[in-house]
Amino acid sequence: MTESAATKLLNGDACRRTLNRKSPSKNGYVKNHCLFQQSQKCRRSGDKLSFLVPQRQNATHNPSLYKKPFVESFEETPLLVAVLTYMGYGILTVFGYLRDFLRHWNIEKCHVARERDEQKDFVPLYQDFENFYTRNLYMRIRDNWNRPICSVPGAKMDLVERVTHNYNWTFEHTGKVVKDVINMGSYNYLGFAENTGTCADAAIETTQKYGVGVGSTRSEMGNLDIHEEMEELVARFLGVESSMTFGMGFATNSMNIPALTGKGCLILSDELNHASLVLGARLSGSTIRVFKHNNMQSLEKLLRDAIVHGQPRTHRPWKKILIVVEGIYSMEGSIVRLPEVIALKKRYKAYLYLDEAHSIGALGPGGRGVVDYFGLDPKDVDIMMGTFTKSFGAAGGYIGGKKELIDYLRSYSHSALYATSMSPPVAQQIITSMKIIMGEDGTTLGADRLKQLSENTNYFRRRLREMGFIIYGNDDSPVVPLMLYMPAKIGAFGREMLKRNIGTVVVGFPATPIIESRARFCVSAAHTREMLDTALEAISEVGDLLQLKYSRREQALSSLGWMAEESLLQD
Amino acid sequence: MAPAYHLILEGILILWIIRLLFSKTYKLHDTYKLTEREKEDLIEEWQPDLLVPPVSKDHSSLKYDVVSGPPSHKIIVNGKECINFASFNFLGLLDNERVKEKALMSLKKYGVGTCGPRGFYGTFDVHLELESRLAKFMKTEEAIIYSYGFATIASAIPAYSKRGDIIFVDEAACFAIQKGLQASRSFIKYFKHNDMEDLERLLKEQELEDQKNPRKARVTRKFIVVEGMYINTADICPLPELVKPLSSAVL
Repeated sequence: MTESAATKLLNGDACRRTLNRKSPSKNGYVKNHCLFQQSQKCRRSGDKLSFLVPQRQNATHNPSLYKKPFVESFEETPLLVAVLTYMGYGILTVFGYLRDFLRHWNIEKCHVARERDEQKDFVPLYQDFENFYTRNLYMRIRDNWNRPICSVPGAKMDLVERVTHNYNWTFEHTGKVVKDVINMGSYNYLGFAENTGTCADAAIETTQKYGVGVGSTRSEMGNLDIHEEMEELVARFLGVESSMTFGMGFATNSMNIPALTGKGCLILSDELNHASLVLGARLSGSTIRVFKHNNMQSLEKLLRDAIVHGQPRTHRPWKKILIVVEGIYSMEGSIVRLPEVIALKKRYKAYLYLDEAHSIGALGPGGRGVVDYFGLDPKDVDIMMGTFTKSFGAAGGYIGGKKELIDYLRSYSHSALYATSMSPPVAQQIITSMKIIMGEDGTTLGADRLKQLSENTNYFRRRLREMGFIIYGNDDSPVVPLMLYMPAKIGAFGREMLKRNIGTVVVGFPATPIIESRARFCVSAAHTREMLDTALEAISEVGDLLQLKYSRREQALSSLGWMAEESLLQD
Repeated sequence: MAPAYHLILEGILILWIIRLLFSKTYKLHDTYKLTEREKEDLIEEWQPDLLVPPVSKDHSSLKYDVVSGPPSHKIIVNGKECINFASFNFLGLLDNERVKEKALMSLKKYGVGTCGPRGFYGTFDVHLELESRLAKFMKTEEAIIYSYGFATIASAIPAYSKRGDIIFVDEAACFAIQKGLQASRSFIKYFKHNDMEDLERLLKEQELEDQKNPRKARVTRKFIVVEGMYINTADICPLPELVKPLSSAVL
């Protein structure tokens, strides 16, 4: 639906108008982050953005950079909901203080971890106030996280049943297993989490041949021939000159950014970057500046200020500027505006570090990530980083780029010198799954799965929008955040969905801003249409039960297609 | 009735204030503001360093030795069979048949990857079993496992020690500990390698500091970080001597 409407209107300014454009008479202002419409509020005052903006008042993005429509929406929180959420947190805080008081005076049994008697006069490990949120709010709904499973984390999984007799302070396993829970929480985008099939067979063979462990670092005795084969394959997959792999995705970021930048360099990182990127940037010792999430004006302003004014106080020129962005942001479901970032990077001579943890394998017609999705040249991105945990069903991370970069990392990366290399069966899983995605194993399994994933994503998102939920993010991203807002609904949603045999992930503070708690669904190519329908029915039921259908957007009449937007344009 | 000169003086003062209020403010920044043209020139002129400095062609780490076949006590490096004195294989379990068999059984049941962090359906029953066994083995209450060895201590240190806390570390601590210390942003005090007197001297100094400022001492946590066996110097830390003064010192 979206595609046909857009292709008809491809030329001219009226293209890329999203489906959710409201007429101004309705209340409830919908922020559209589409690249054409920029509201007056978001425009930066004063600074003349001479590059991206033709000399006009309205800051418009350059539409010719995008080959297909970039449709993102982040509907604003309704006012009543925000007020009720704050009230909810207020009530919880009052009760928290009450419970603390009762625990302090031993009226209530205290389950919180305490120091041993001989350590009573030590400074306490956790100050009472730091722990307030964990003790009083998180503990109440703790059963929604860390749910143990005892099968493959595929489209359906088996959960270990656990009960708590003291309100989530301790759990016990009953010994029973909840079978066939639909898995909407694991990062299984292409369905490679399986224990049968080509991947599993190859991994079994490799385990028998090489064993499980390696016992040494890459620079010493840990570089097996299977690692070399895998790196060459990854480089071919991404379209770069060479690549290097590491044993853990998080550690890839936190150990390699310090090797690339140091004192006197500037890192411009997105507001919502992952903890591994933030840790790597901090450990490197460079200056860090944060730009607003996916906001190109903010990034351009920072770049200009940085180059013009130089380092703070000394005004010496910066040695390097590194822009750190992610492909898909897992909490928002938004996709980075890569064409614009590359245009900015070329203009201001900065380097680009792209973290494709979620987007590799999941976006793009060939599954090659966000670069493939926008149809850009992989040589434009200086450092392409990604993980194998999500779409490839393995573990570990990689960095791809020019040969000089990878040679430098081989000698100076912390991981290559101090950390054990990847285990052989994991490496084999990556090799097999990557060959399947590229189609080199001779079957069309990879192409089928990619198509299935994008179909599932579009279907799931469209149905949820139609039901009236507030869904964040880009229309093509397989990560679907559904807004819950109120603290009690976080726990209720997770539990109600589990009652209906669907495993979901709910996220609250501190991973998200305090009133924007959400449930996050990860669509997978392994989900069949029936599974998605079952899940959608259950979500709709729970949504009615908990009154989650907050959206106040009018749905475009699907029968009219692009005619509907034409008429709205005339407003 | 005030004398005339008072009134005249006050009138002059009021007029002066009015003049100051309405006169144009003279900002020093104006002289430093750059014009658009100058900004464009600066942007044109700026040249960044190369992303990575060039590595000489015969750097030792550039060409890794390729191991073909399973790494165990005998290892095939670059086509040649050697006795392996390089891998960490203390108990010889790298090519143990029982380990491989169990690994294959788990592969057939769970697949290769966990597809998620521990919090979101990435906790398997085998993880929990391993943690309870480790706790029993180490005779502690509970245990937690990490998937990457380097990350374990590098994440554990900043989890407990925050800005403002004090950590006493041995000089020969391994790289992972150093990264953990850097991430924690605490005060680091190094004592000489395996030298318990040096550590005691530092602790006594800290005690004096605490007595000078008891309010700050009540919120500053102090930690000692040592390794069981040091990878950098190959010796063992004197644990009995370390534990003894702890019970007497007020830490």
